[in-house]
Amino acid sequence: MGRSLKKGPYIDEKLVRKVEAQGPAKEPIQTWARACTITPEFVGITFLVHNGNKFLKVFVTEDMVGHKLGEFAPTRTFRGHTSTRDAGRR
Amino acid sequence: MPRVVGVDIPADKRVGIALRYIFGVGPVQAYKILDACGIDPTLRARDLSEENVARIAAEIEKNHVVEGQLRRQVATNIQRLKDIGSYRGLRHRRGLPARGQRTRTNARTRKGPRKTVAGRKSVKGK
Repeated sequence: MGRSLKKGPYIDEKLVRKVEAQGPAKEPIQTWARACTITPEFVGITFLVHNGNKFLKVFVTEDMVGHKLGEFAPTRTFRGHTSTRDAGRR
Repeated sequence: MPRVVGVDIPADKRVGIALRYIFGVGPVQAYKILDACGIDPTLRARDLSEENVARIAAEIEKNHVVEGQLRRQVATNIQRLKDIGSYRGLRHRRGLPARGQRTRTNARTRKGPRKTVAGRKSVKGK
């Protein structure tokens, strides 16, 4: 279900300020704003997106515009189910 | 049997139904096409005149994406999700539902036939 057009995309204002303030050095921007939509201005910037535990490096490319930052920083670790043998030994 | 856009040979059903045999044409599109061509959807497909078949084909060609082209479009969209490393792309790669559905039960369309595992812990590789 998409978001209401009336409201427009959700863009974290603080993050935009950080992007604008960024110098030519292009050091990664650390952020918790996973819900923030990626705007064209974000292209070419590396973000450190919080996944609830660590900050994951996300390099924004043109194709990512319109998606949200959180889509590129998975929050779950799935290491597979226990194998049949392991389950039996318990 | 009339042929519309390539290999599609709808049966001796009403055109409104027969057109749905084309990949990318469902109930809504079928009636839209016939409306644009001014053809009665209750007409049987075999009773269509050559001219009307040509009209339908032209209309589809012009205003609709169907069959191979549509399949390609869908595939590239999915490929894009995979390439940018998004969560949805990851779900496609693993063959799991991509829109937040539950997977504890159901999701059989994506996961395929059940793989029953002996013992109370269920085991499933990716």
